[in-house]
Amino acid sequence: MVRLHFTHPIHLIIGLTLWSLWFVAVYSGLSVVCAVAPPLPEAGALTGLNVALGGVSLITAVGLVALAWGGCQVAKQHQGRQRFHATVSAWLYLFSAFGVVFAGMPIISVPPCL
Amino acid sequence: MKSVNQEAIEHDPQQLHEDLHTIWGNPKGLRSLTIVNHTTLGLRFMVTGMVFFLIGGILAMLVRTQLAMPDQNFMSPDIYNQVTTMHGTVMMFLFAIPMLEGLAIYLIPKMIGARDLVCPRLTSLGYFCYLFGGIILTSSLIIEMAPSSGWFMYTPLSSKEFAPDLGSDFWLLGITFVEISAVSAGVELVVSILRTRTQGMALHKMPLFAWYILAMALMIVVGFPPLILGSVLLELERAVGMPFFQIAGGGDPILWQHLFWLFGHPEVYIIFLPAAGIVSTLIPVFAGRPIVGYGWVVAAIAIMGFISFGLWVHHMFTVGIPQLAQAFFSAASMLVAVPTAIQVFVWLATLWLGKPKMKLPMLWVMGFLIIFVCGGLTGVMLALVPFNWQVHDTHFVVAHMHYVLVGGMFFPLIAGLYYWLPLFSGRMPSENLGRWGFWLTFLGFNGTFLIMHWTGLLGMPRRVYTYEAGSGWEVYNLLSSVSSFVLSAGIAMVLLDIALHFRFGKPAKQNPWNADTLEWANSMPPSAYNFVSLPSVETRHPLWDEPNLPHTMAKGMHGLAVASHGRREMWGSDPITGKVREIIHLPGNSWWPLLAAAALAVVCISLLTRVYALAGIFAVIAGVFLLRWSWENGAHPNAAPDAGVKPGDPPLHSRTMDGPGLWAMAVFLIANGSFFLSYLFGWFYLWTVSPEWQMPDTPPLSLLIMGMAGGAVLAGGVVIEKLVRGLRQQRDAGLRASLYLAAALGALQVGLAGWALWRADLSPTQTTHDAVMLVGLVYALFHGGLAVILTVLQGMRVGYGYVGAQAPFEPAVVALLWRYNVATFWLLVGALVILPRVIGG
Repeated sequence: MVRLHFTHPIHLIIGLTLWSLWFVAVYSGLSVVCAVAPPLPEAGALTGLNVALGGVSLITAVGLVALAWGGCQVAKQHQGRQRFHATVSAWLYLFSAFGVVFAGMPIISVPPCL
Repeated sequence: MKSVNQEAIEHDPQQLHEDLHTIWGNPKGLRSLTIVNHTTLGLRFMVTGMVFFLIGGILAMLVRTQLAMPDQNFMSPDIYNQVTTMHGTVMMFLFAIPMLEGLAIYLIPKMIGARDLVCPRLTSLGYFCYLFGGIILTSSLIIEMAPSSGWFMYTPLSSKEFAPDLGSDFWLLGITFVEISAVSAGVELVVSILRTRTQGMALHKMPLFAWYILAMALMIVVGFPPLILGSVLLELERAVGMPFFQIAGGGDPILWQHLFWLFGHPEVYIIFLPAAGIVSTLIPVFAGRPIVGYGWVVAAIAIMGFISFGLWVHHMFTVGIPQLAQAFFSAASMLVAVPTAIQVFVWLATLWLGKPKMKLPMLWVMGFLIIFVCGGLTGVMLALVPFNWQVHDTHFVVAHMHYVLVGGMFFPLIAGLYYWLPLFSGRMPSENLGRWGFWLTFLGFNGTFLIMHWTGLLGMPRRVYTYEAGSGWEVYNLLSSVSSFVLSAGIAMVLLDIALHFRFGKPAKQNPWNADTLEWANSMPPSAYNFVSLPSVETRHPLWDEPNLPHTMAKGMHGLAVASHGRREMWGSDPITGKVREIIHLPGNSWWPLLAAAALAVVCISLLTRVYALAGIFAVIAGVFLLRWSWENGAHPNAAPDAGVKPGDPPLHSRTMDGPGLWAMAVFLIANGSFFLSYLFGWFYLWTVSPEWQMPDTPPLSLLIMGMAGGAVLAGGVVIEKLVRGLRQQRDAGLRASLYLAAALGALQVGLAGWALWRADLSPTQTTHDAVMLVGLVYALFHGGLAVILTVLQGMRVGYGYVGAQAPFEPAVVALLWRYNVATFWLLVGALVILPRVIGG
């Protein structure tokens, strides 16, 4: 686990990888449900699918914010290369969380399969 | 930065230069085809790229001539379609990417203090694949049989029914051939940047250009395979009738769009990132201060690298995708403006806080900033679904695309070429001619494409060969066409300036722009080995912090200033800290890359002409050439039979367990994995979405036989892992027998999977289900067969003494392939054999 400490540069890509996995999950999940068992159009945005997608998005965003906070804390304890990696990683986690919230916002108001 | 080699000081530096030249120097005459040196091959890439640029430019002029006036018959509709398709194809695949890769191939080793790229023969193979593929593709123009379905080759327009001649085949086979080059360069650039930086150059001290190229190379590795898969499938459909993109058989033409744009949108950023890297390199030099916010730029690069893969559907807003899905992609498309804006503000802040000198390269950088920001803004407009619907398929999109690509790639490229010209030639360009070239290009470009936004908003569709008088588009088209010729005059002037400077340019002094990065520590033009000695670098600005560095490096006062062993050597360093771990020894000049590329070219032409037997024979020949090439590695007499190093120096990489070949294999497997995941995406996509997809009542593949095949490959993988573990502990007892045992298990897997395929009695030309299944099994059989051959070769190398406890490296590389095979085979069993039984059709 030492290698996965927040000062390790692998964290430069973990946040954005999680964003990517979230993006693929919500897009493919939406597409499969809309192809196999689409909710009724009159249900609007209040469907189980929206709730599920919203839940996954919320969990992902909260997790990413927590990772960003962790990176910030670790960055304060180091200097030089390790501080650089932890700081940039923390910003990338935060951006990834913002990306989840921003791209996931339409889940609140747009009917899923129209 | 004080690792001065006292022993070397006592050497005669001139003698050292001569010795290094003997080892690294380029041969002349016919043998120059064997050159593997990155400096020469980088230049070849760029010169070839410029030739294709001229071809693409002439095609653009033909298009503008045709559209200058309404109701013109300068070209027939079919020829017009060929010309526009080839313009886009040539510019994207034969100019933009190879040109930027060529620049990266040329610069990266010099910037990171290395003597070459880590896989020099791969550089050479990549170049020849690019050259031959480009020639094959452009030859279609001469015989008036060029592809005509647009550079994105949408099905069914590119399918046999609507494109029965060979045009689409030229595109599919030619581009796939060229993509071998792109992926090869991607793999070795990644490994070179991570593993061959000079002593002390930790990740956070790396030049920003290297960060950009690292991201670009990784994006190529991940982004190109979906298009390679799409091209293979479409060519199979056209050649033998496997209906991947036909509704009637269970396919779906939209699958092509997904596969194409999964590649196509990241492609824009693959082109933009190195260009932005040029800008981030030049601005601090001409502002005379370090860049503001190095970390912010690194973060922006990472964000672009990822987010750009989440935008592909914004090219498909009109195909009938649910609104919520469109909203996801619309938001992601806006999101990518954030890292772009970060970089723009960083550049502006650096200029603001520095004392910018408006030399010729900076003029092009300023042109870039203006044009690219405009292109970015229209990009945000196009990310909005309702606006996108309105202007879809109009000249507005053409204008936006050219603002992004010409502004985002061509202007920085010319800035970079002017900046590094003294390095290429030792001479300075002409400021006067260069400024004329810039202003003509800048004004001509905006005259052509700014106006085109209006033409598009007025409703003029793209890809139509003419328009009627009275449509209201006449004056705009005429202005665009006239301006396009001004643009051409500007580019001609730039090319003239570059050509003339080789003869008439003033000799450049050392480091003429007062740059901070290591490439300017080279002689001008550079020697084949770049540096006599490799320095320790602990700062982001080595030449600013120690201006005398070029001199001490040339005197041999730093690391690896030795040539008596006769090997091509450079440091292998830790990917994070830059600490030296081993000495990487590189292969010398070789015919194998040229021969392999030539054999592959025959395969390409044979497939094009449908002479499949010849294609099969030459595919085998190409394989033999490639394997023969791989034989000359490690402890082979032509590589490094003597493991001796100077006292205190680290060991040769082939005598460790972690050489660059391991990293190259890992990165190649990422590309391979991207191909495989694209395949799985296609399988599940068609299964879920295609209206006529039919799952057979009885699953055709035997679960028992496929399970046994999976067991065999797993057992082979375990044997390989065990013997690699032994090698790590310097134990090689029974190594040869273990390798042959693993190979036998691999052969059993191939035999069983082949038997399962035989029993399945598939009808791949009748149903898409069977066609997709066949492709998956052929993929597994090919990889299984490859693992068997490589493992047998390893066993033979143990016999020759090239592999063993003293040279333990190579089995670890082969073990990675085995791991990959185990994982992908079981995923295939799950997707093709188990899931259909569990959830049915």
